Amino acid sequence: MISRTRMFGWLVTVAALFAIAGGEARAEPYLAVQSGFKCVQCHVNPTGGGLRNGFGNVFAQTQLAARRVGAEDAELWTGSIGRFLAVGGNLRANAAYSKVPDVGTSDEFGVEEARIFLDVAIIPGRLSVYVDERVAPGNADNREANVRLWLREGSVYVKGGKMYLPFGWRLEDDNAYVRQLSGINMQTPDNGLEIGLESGPWSAQLAVSNGTAGGPELDDGKMFSARVEHVLDRWRVGAAATFNNADAGDRKGAALFAGTRWGRFSLLGEVDWFDDDGIGANGRTRMATLAEANFLWRQGHNLKATFEWYEPDDDVDEDEQTRTSLVYEWSPMQFLQARFGVRRFIGIPQNDLQNRTEAFLQLHGYF
Amino acid sequence: MAFRKVPPRNAAWRTGTLALGVLLSACAGDGKGLDANGRPPSESGAGLPPTTGVSFKAVQDNVFTPICSTCHSGAAAPLGLRLDAGNAFASLVNVSSVQVGSLRRVQPGDPNGSYLVQKIEGRAAVGARMPLGGPPLSQANIDLVRGWIAAGAPSAAAADGATALAFSITSSMPGAGEMALAGTDRVTLVFNAGVDASLAQGGTIELAQVDGPAIALASIEVPAATPGVLTLKSAGALPPGDYLLTVRGSGATALADTAARRLDGDGDGRAGGDFTIGFSVADAAQSAAIVAAAPGGRQ
Repeated sequence: MISRTRMFGWLVTVAALFAIAGGEARAEPYLAVQSGFKCVQCHVNPTGGGLRNGFGNVFAQTQLAARRVGAEDAELWTGSIGRFLAVGGNLRANAAYSKVPDVGTSDEFGVEEARIFLDVAIIPGRLSVYVDERVAPGNADNREANVRLWLREGSVYVKGGKMYLPFGWRLEDDNAYVRQLSGINMQTPDNGLEIGLESGPWSAQLAVSNGTAGGPELDDGKMFSARVEHVLDRWRVGAAATFNNADAGDRKGAALFAGTRWGRFSLLGEVDWFDDDGIGANGRTRMATLAEANFLWRQGHNLKATFEWYEPDDDVDEDEQTRTSLVYEWSPMQFLQARFGVRRFIGIPQNDLQNRTEAFLQLHGYF
Repeated sequence: MAFRKVPPRNAAWRTGTLALGVLLSACAGDGKGLDANGRPPSESGAGLPPTTGVSFKAVQDNVFTPICSTCHSGAAAPLGLRLDAGNAFASLVNVSSVQVGSLRRVQPGDPNGSYLVQKIEGRAAVGARMPLGGPPLSQANIDLVRGWIAAGAPSAAAADGATALAFSITSSMPGAGEMALAGTDRVTLVFNAGVDASLAQGGTIELAQVDGPAIALASIEVPAATPGVLTLKSAGALPPGDYLLTVRGSGATALADTAARRLDGDGDGRAGGDFTIGFSVADAAQSAAIVAAAPGGRQ
């Protein structure tokens, strides 16, 4: 049983770090919705993902895990090594199974990815250099590398370099239809410049980038991405838009997203619309939606259900697809999460792959 | 006949499950009137023989379109790799990989050395196996990709004709005998393999007015991302008149691809021979007439 003294100590630590951090957090968006925090509360990166800040690390140890393992008076990990350097990492290892009708089944173990984060606070609270390196599978591969400057007492920032672009919910699941359709996910960092605002209940970003999703720049056209979110304790709503001016064909898109919490439930939703001139002879208009419900059974135990819908071409009838998932997330101790999920895909009957079933068990270690 | 009575709670559960299943299924399309990739038959070529054997079309129809292009399409395709129909060939063949620059995505004749094969087989030096987050490609589909590359990675156009393995021009804009609108300042050539950009220069490519002077070219461009496309631009708009374009496949100034294969300009299936087409550029009045006569033009 947790002693009152220890509990009080953690709460004080969390409160102190909350006050100090004054900034960021974004891990899984449902965590932000569940906790009522702004998305920029838990991560060093203003647009989320990657390295957790001190608050995020303490939150992970005291609020996410079912229990904290170790000596009661053990010092909490904050990610900071001295005043100027912070480190972190993620590793996701999977056991995956899939069944495709009329084709067969497959099952395998594998490392989905391992990433190392590094943030050097050259001028603490003002100027930082951030690097996110994927170190597995395969050789190292840079994901993010940018310099970040905070202005106006931490309410405005400018970020330049390689980064994930702001658009909709930043989901862990890169294969969610809304993240596949937008092409903006954890697999597609781009080179550019971002300006952000973190003020009161408002969070906003505007970015200009090459628009090549990490590929070489091929033309003079650039991609513009904007995202704005209004965050209150029990609900939040946001909108995003993007325009990519490219010789390969212009691409424009928009999204509306929202989240709310009610008791142990938290609900998230997103609707995306994209018009891409570079696909097919006449371009293509596509849409995707996400509806996600989370039930926090008790601390460290979360049940997530999602329903997604994808319209691959607005001009073609009866080609829609759905993806329904049920995922149980268990955090038995700090910095460790086990996830078990099943996903059911339903699409046109003549395409076997669109009607597959997947199941996975994932071990997620992070610090 | 006796029926086992279902407890009310189980009945409610089954009814709910059934209703949920029906609801989820109802949101997906029934695919009526579409091909296996969810496209209208008019687009996929109704009446054509099914894509079998080793060909680029078979790879496109069975792998790229149904699986890869879900993400790899459009202006923001990951790493600039576009695998939707009409763009896949130019994004792959003889194009350097972004993740491992020393390898080409598709190296004609060398499946093991092609980064595409390494990625779908999960033995690439960088990153996860493709398709990302989904089931691995079936061995039959991997063999299809391997077979196409081993055969020299011919384009769909090349596979349909006599130039399966020769380096050749598959199309041009303006095309042979066509009339371009007034103001045109460029000609675009599409090849079935990547062009050696260092050879794409004056002397190798000539544009001249029929019975007139050669046109001074302001640039000859072969974009790194689409090495199978060459665009030559004049210093200004081409004056109205008839033109002759020559791309040399013979002699000391012959054009070659990045595998050092000379151009098969005369279309005999063997390296060598000049490619020549004639086209014309309309004057203002002719252009107005062309625009008016076009579908959707002024009536």
